[in-house]
Amino acid sequence: MRVLKSVTAGSLESSDVLVTIMPLSEDRIEYDIESIVIKQYGRRIRKVTEDMVEIAKITGARIHVQDRGALECTLRARLETAIERSIAC
Amino acid sequence: MSETFFGLEERILHTKDELAQREALLTSRGLTVPEGEELVLGLFDGEQLVATGALVRNVLQGIAVDMSHEGEGVAAAIVSSLIKRAVDRGITQIFLYTVSEDISRFENLGFSKVAAVPKGAALLEWGSAGIESYLSSLKALAEDKPDHAGAVVINCNPFTLGHRALIEYASSHVPWLYVLVVEEDRSLFPFRVRYRLVQEGVADLRNVTVMKGGPYIISSATFPTYFIRPDANEASQRAVRMHASLDVSIFRMHIAPALKVADRFVGTEPYCPTTSVYNEIMKIILQARETEAFGFDAKIPPVTVHEIPRFEIGGTPVSASKVRDMIREGNLSEVQKLVPKTTWDWLKSDEAVPVMERIRQSDSRH
Repeated sequence: MRVLKSVTAGSLESSDVLVTIMPLSEDRIEYDIESIVIKQYGRRIRKVTEDMVEIAKITGARIHVQDRGALECTLRARLETAIERSIAC
Repeated sequence: MSETFFGLEERILHTKDELAQREALLTSRGLTVPEGEELVLGLFDGEQLVATGALVRNVLQGIAVDMSHEGEGVAAAIVSSLIKRAVDRGITQIFLYTVSEDISRFENLGFSKVAAVPKGAALLEWGSAGIESYLSSLKALAEDKPDHAGAVVINCNPFTLGHRALIEYASSHVPWLYVLVVEEDRSLFPFRVRYRLVQEGVADLRNVTVMKGGPYIISSATFPTYFIRPDANEASQRAVRMHASLDVSIFRMHIAPALKVADRFVGTEPYCPTTSVYNEIMKIILQARETEAFGFDAKIPPVTVHEIPRFEIGGTPVSASKVRDMIREGNLSEVQKLVPKTTWDWLKSDEAVPVMERIRQSDSRH
């Protein structure tokens, strides 16, 4: 499924995460992962993000994750919302 | 539509009373009301405004939080909301203006610094540094070019014999010349046309590369006041100086080293006060040897500024604004004397019809 529009979900507030999905002209996925706890949890955040993108089968997008110390369930919820919004007409 | 954060209500500010509260809040934090703003948000605790922020094109500015609510994540809430609204409008390259003392607050919210004037303004960008990838593209371009190059930054609205004379002069004084065309599409001639007319107008010069100016040269992020008619009032003059300082700092700190530029060429500015302030600040910041006051590393080499007298025909300086005035007055035979054949041919083409019509109807400075 192609990403159609630029969307966000979440926020930059403490313990939340801001997920932004932007369409790319090419058929690939670009990740940009930032976190205030990148050393401890960077790999896990990336894995969760990549898995969710793969399951949703979206393509042609830049996925920007700005984590402010969110729990994994929060990250998953934000990603799910952003992905849904990005492919809705 | 309103949302709540920790019991605070978010509203778009419209009324005189709300905007007055907001000005008081900005003033209490040592900030001024931004110019040309499009969307102003506020967070309210009951009827009291406790935080505000504005979106001006792709730049967040005028962000302030009342002392009583500091440290509660209120700034994060307002910044998140502004980012969302920008992204909803399809804007994904987002900048933020603040004062240099507050840089670290916004770095903590995921912004990175582009440039800052000590005790003055700072420009940050959202997410991981976009300027890094921009600079690598410049370095790649400069790789096979001579180590000593010059640069001209121009809007060319449209390309005249004056621009041609400046570029010709510059290209004969440096081994290689980069001509950076202002990319922001806010002039009467669209960027696509301005760019093409520059390319065609200098096609015979062997050592010249014409390139897009990009988001870090005279853009709505680095120099928003360039595109609006300047006010004579002091606040607005201060804003022009502040933006000009940031813009030339970015040029010296980032762009000139990436392109190996050691000379920048400009025409003297007889008509436009904004451009003449810009030239004056450029001479100070680009050539400074004592760099501490400007907030950049002393190892960053100075750039010599060459101010070339405007090319004149019959004792009158040739400028793009003159050309636009003549088009407005319907004086096309005079226009022909001021522009090269390439520009003249375009002005007579079918493609030019809507642009010419817009010029006739407009009194815009650009």
